[in-house]
Amino acid sequence: MSEHTRTLVPPTDGYFDLAHYEALLGTVQEWRSLGEIPQDRLPPPEAYAAICRLLYLEARLLDAERLPEWLALFTDDCVYWLPTDVAGRDPRVTVAWEMNDRRRLEERVERLGTGRAFSQAPPTRTTHLYTNIEALTAGDHVVHVLCQFLIQTNLAGRVSQRSGWNGYVLRRAGAAWRIVVKRINLFDADLPQDNNSFTL
Amino acid sequence: MYASPELFALEMRHLFGRTWVYVGHESEIPQPNDFVMRTMGRRPVILARKDDGSLSVLLNRCPHRGALMCRTPRGNARRFTCGYHAWTFENDGRCVGVPLRHAYGEAFQRSDQDMHAAAKVEAYRGFIFASMNAAVPPLIEHLAGARSSWTNGWTATAPAPCWCRTATCSSRPMRTGRRCTTMRAMATTRPSPTPRCCACSPSATATMWTCGITRRISTKSPILSKDLGNGHTLLDQRPAMHAVSAWRRQHVSPGREAAEEALTARYGAEETLRMLDASTGSGLNLNIFPNLLIIGNQIQMLEPVTVNRTIVRWFSTTLEGAPPEVNATRMRLQEDFPSFGEVDDTAQFESCQHGLEDVPEMEWVDIRRHMETGVGYPDTDGLWREPISSDLHLRCYYAAWRQVMEA
Repeated sequence: MSEHTRTLVPPTDGYFDLAHYEALLGTVQEWRSLGEIPQDRLPPPEAYAAICRLLYLEARLLDAERLPEWLALFTDDCVYWLPTDVAGRDPRVTVAWEMNDRRRLEERVERLGTGRAFSQAPPTRTTHLYTNIEALTAGDHVVHVLCQFLIQTNLAGRVSQRSGWNGYVLRRAGAAWRIVVKRINLFDADLPQDNNSFTL
Repeated sequence: MYASPELFALEMRHLFGRTWVYVGHESEIPQPNDFVMRTMGRRPVILARKDDGSLSVLLNRCPHRGALMCRTPRGNARRFTCGYHAWTFENDGRCVGVPLRHAYGEAFQRSDQDMHAAAKVEAYRGFIFASMNAAVPPLIEHLAGARSSWTNGWTATAPAPCWCRTATCSSRPMRTGRRCTTMRAMATTRPSPTPRCCACSPSATATMWTCGITRRISTKSPILSKDLGNGHTLLDQRPAMHAVSAWRRQHVSPGREAAEEALTARYGAEETLRMLDASTGSGLNLNIFPNLLIIGNQIQMLEPVTVNRTIVRWFSTTLEGAPPEVNATRMRLQEDFPSFGEVDDTAQFESCQHGLEDVPEMEWVDIRRHMETGVGYPDTDGLWREPISSDLHLRCYYAAWRQVMEA
């Protein structure tokens, strides 16, 4: 396990400091270079099942536009990240399509709910498919999950797809798993994008 | 004008063939033999730095059969070899290799087969422009009144020698009329979206529509719109944005508190505030006719695709040598408006395009705001200024458009 995966910091107002970026970058680099998952990092079957349930719940809440409930699946020190590159660039010197901390993510959800976010009026309908779900433990109560996604969308009659892979950092708090990082890796993130202002 | 593929084709040929067109920033090709693929209108071109450090812009079309010579968006190469029949050219366009040369006959001269180059290539403060037309005036003359905005606004926020360099590039395609894109420059006043309007042609007029929010923009606002000549305009938000501290009035972003705390510990409060104020943006929307927009800390390059589709290539900028917290802050702030406002603007432009294409009974749009209210006057630098709520920038764009198209 890389050092980076251990250092994602606990929730504070200022959790998005340079060390946090360093940890995020290290996590992404580990995901990008991951080969076969070592035996000793495979989560126990019941943990894997719980993680799958969380992902399916997440997809279901997104598709049902139940965004406040979706937001509740994220931790206080969460990151929702939609990079503009497919090369794993350093977010400290690279803009993202979306790089949201908890505060910005809450703003997004709130704004989408106002009806004044014209790019989502009417809202984009989605159906999220998650597959190829791979999980690896990364310390006590922390699991990383990689999965492929296909999102079928319809915006005011215009059908289109988004696809790629998601990288999650999940943390267990009591009985529940929660999302610390969701990095949405569009397979064509570095190419012109259509309206992605819905929640992916 | 918004809906005619024929007019679009003429525009690609003439508008992007007769004047200076922005093709890239020097920091994108820092090393000898670096190159990027670009367009001038619809023409595919290669922007390269030659071995001697000078710049070249080559039509990315093999003189032999027309294939794209270069199909890699960016890289480093001294020579380009066509993938079709392996004709080879230096990055200054010189033909240096033609397989089976004897088969082309006695009269065939390799030196007649060079790649076609742009007639002119010049850079101003790192911004590289090219023209297909050898008769264009010097770039510095073309930029006219825009030069002082560059000097006093854009570069002033990046103290020398730490000049801005382009960092990353994101692209947004829009299903919009190409002219609509000129309006994007209107859209950066925080915290709420500013008036957005839809452009026009000399032969049609323009629609200006409001969405309620526009009423908040007072004619008495200190921010202003300025005619810089030759179609270039400036929307200057500095009088409001940088009146006290742009950082203090800046919308929150990820890492705001952590960056301020870390910088203050190292540089003290005053210096930190100076750095963070500069990170929020230049306070300028500098619109360079016909395809470059410098907005805050971003560079936007417009790439027309079809009559109703434009790619906006959006470059963020970092400061070379700046503390890492400053650059991280710049990145997060440069995501702010694109994530929360620009997407809505784009949606509006797309909806305009729908109306303009699909309602043949209505030909006109309106860009008259403050045309006849008498509120404009020459500024101290002699350049014409109007309130920020004016459609001046649209009128300037189309006046230049008409001049170039009718030349």
